[in-house]
Amino acid sequence: MAILVDKRSNVMVQGITGGAGKFHTERMIAYGTHIVGGTSPGKGGATVSGKPVFDTVAECVKQTGADVSVVFLPAPAVKEAAIEAIRAGIKFLVVVPEHIPIHDMLYVREEAVRHGATVIGGNTAGIITPGEANLGIMPEIAFSPGRVGTVSRSGSITYYVADTLTRTGYGQTTCVGLGGDPVLGSTFDEILWKFEQDEKTKAVVMCGEIGGVYEERATSVIPKMKTPVLAMIGGIFAPPGKRMGHAGAIVEGTMGTAKEKLDLLAASGAHPCKTFRDIPEVLKKLGV
Amino acid sequence: MRLYEFEGKELFKKFKIPVSDSRLAKTTDEVFIAVNDLNCPVVLKSQVLIGGRGKAGGIKLADTPDQAKTLAKELFALKIKGYPVEEILIEPKLAIKKEFYIGVTIDRTNYKLVIIASGEGGVDIEETAAKHPEKIIKKSLSVEEPFYGFDALAMAKQIGIPTELIKSGAEIIVGLYNMFKKYDAKLVEINPLVLTADSKLIAADSRVSLDDDALFRHAELKGMGIEKRHEEGEMTPRESQATEWGIPYLDLDGDIGMFPGGAGFGIMGNDFIHYYGGKPANFMDSGGGPTPERLAQMLVLLDDNPQVKAIFGARFGGISRCDDFAKGVVIFLKNHGLSKPMVLRMTGNMWQEGVRIFEEAKKESPKLFEKIEFHGIETPIEEISKRAVELAARERGN
Repeated sequence: MAILVDKRSNVMVQGITGGAGKFHTERMIAYGTHIVGGTSPGKGGATVSGKPVFDTVAECVKQTGADVSVVFLPAPAVKEAAIEAIRAGIKFLVVVPEHIPIHDMLYVREEAVRHGATVIGGNTAGIITPGEANLGIMPEIAFSPGRVGTVSRSGSITYYVADTLTRTGYGQTTCVGLGGDPVLGSTFDEILWKFEQDEKTKAVVMCGEIGGVYEERATSVIPKMKTPVLAMIGGIFAPPGKRMGHAGAIVEGTMGTAKEKLDLLAASGAHPCKTFRDIPEVLKKLGV
Repeated sequence: MRLYEFEGKELFKKFKIPVSDSRLAKTTDEVFIAVNDLNCPVVLKSQVLIGGRGKAGGIKLADTPDQAKTLAKELFALKIKGYPVEEILIEPKLAIKKEFYIGVTIDRTNYKLVIIASGEGGVDIEETAAKHPEKIIKKSLSVEEPFYGFDALAMAKQIGIPTELIKSGAEIIVGLYNMFKKYDAKLVEINPLVLTADSKLIAADSRVSLDDDALFRHAELKGMGIEKRHEEGEMTPRESQATEWGIPYLDLDGDIGMFPGGAGFGIMGNDFIHYYGGKPANFMDSGGGPTPERLAQMLVLLDDNPQVKAIFGARFGGISRCDDFAKGVVIFLKNHGLSKPMVLRMTGNMWQEGVRIFEEAKKESPKLFEKIEFHGIETPIEEISKRAVELAARERGN
């Protein structure tokens, strides 16, 4: 099993005829991802790598049964594209572009919640269920099928964690990139809970970083989980982060430093790791 | 990005939020003229993009135009947390009866917008929030929900705006909220909102932070001189150069040049160097699919920095492909040459092509590659971090 995507997922690509869209569609197909088509308004009827192109998401869903979409569009177009996809019945959306306006992501999140859809990103490297489906821009060399889940705000960190798990024989069930933007479609707690419900996932590695509040949210679910959680936080030695300002500090407290985040996670039952190398050692101790 | 107080107040005016009659001056002579224009006493306020200017002596009170000129001279010579004062906003001194706080921001814990008000304005509002949370009123709204006038009226009343002014108070709160929505703000604040002795409400300061990523839909801001700018702090010459080249870069005080790939590993890579006993000379994000030319510029920043003893480079090709990475390194070697030892690890998307590019360039001119150690996926990244620390130590001679 896996979370969110597997070999049965019918995946479409929004922006399939663009440079990045085309390049990564071909990569995803080569990996074995079940790509059923894509959209590019005004280019309906064309094909990319043998997959049909439609003008709208609704047509693509109707003709191909797409239930997952990967977005490769410029940031200003993401809000409409995401809402279009969710309204057309897409239940899982991967938003790769970065620099999406914050207010736009708030609208996308509202729409997703209303329709029971899950969004990851913006600015995510994507999601991969090794051996089954690769959605986004993740390099397959790092990944292998296995028993540990990963969730991270950073693409590069996801690759290094997977690289470590592959090298040490643990492999991965699913690797989820939350994305690096300030307001994200999904949060650590939500993804951790999906892993908790997956039988194959024997442990989860979560990697956060300095700034923001998403790591803190994880402390509400970790104590309820039977699946052990390993936690890494980047930025322990970073120069003090910028603060958002008065009102931000009122609602979000002191915008935790990496050290504070790691301490909070450890107190909630997560197993802290300093470098990637610690991950297999902790897994071994836990008997995973 | 932060706006200057006077820019924030220009936006306030568009939303009928009352502000004082004011003048902006760039020289002491301009200050003198402005003060003659307004009635004394006046307040001279340094325009800097950072809080705490009052405590740093950036705000002065003048009773006469001549005194204003003398004080302006002091202000123009002042640096506030590294910021030089280049402009002064001049306003008539207000007769303050009471001060309030109003702000709007995004609560990322629950994906809501939040309107915050307090009867304790003018002070450090964070302290009030921490010590007396009951004195802070909050109203959360989803981005799609309207903010009604009656809610604003209730807020105005709750924070103690007198009855005869609660309609104006509510209009100010609604105006601030509308401004927040209209301009894609991350934060807008009036602190303090002043109740004057002659029963007027005036926004005595503005604090506005906009979302850089949404500037594309607010062309009119550019007409007001509001453009993307560095968030905070004074830049070092290298940071200015990096900004000009479009590279996210920060100088640190160590001696290992960091060329790590991706913002996430950019941050964590710094930690790794520390764990192995070294200190990074910089932070850099080399992710997001930079061109080979941009990558070459990144290496120039490191190699030209006399503080740098060794360079740590890593690329896990995702959207940033290994072939582009290799091309960037080769361009740098050919055009600039490498004077420091460098250890590199490269794997991920298009790594075979990247290796081919390196091998070909090396065959052509092996001398260029003398100071580089290459590794692929077979070497854990921890080994590379450790090796960079060793190389820097060797260069330092210990």
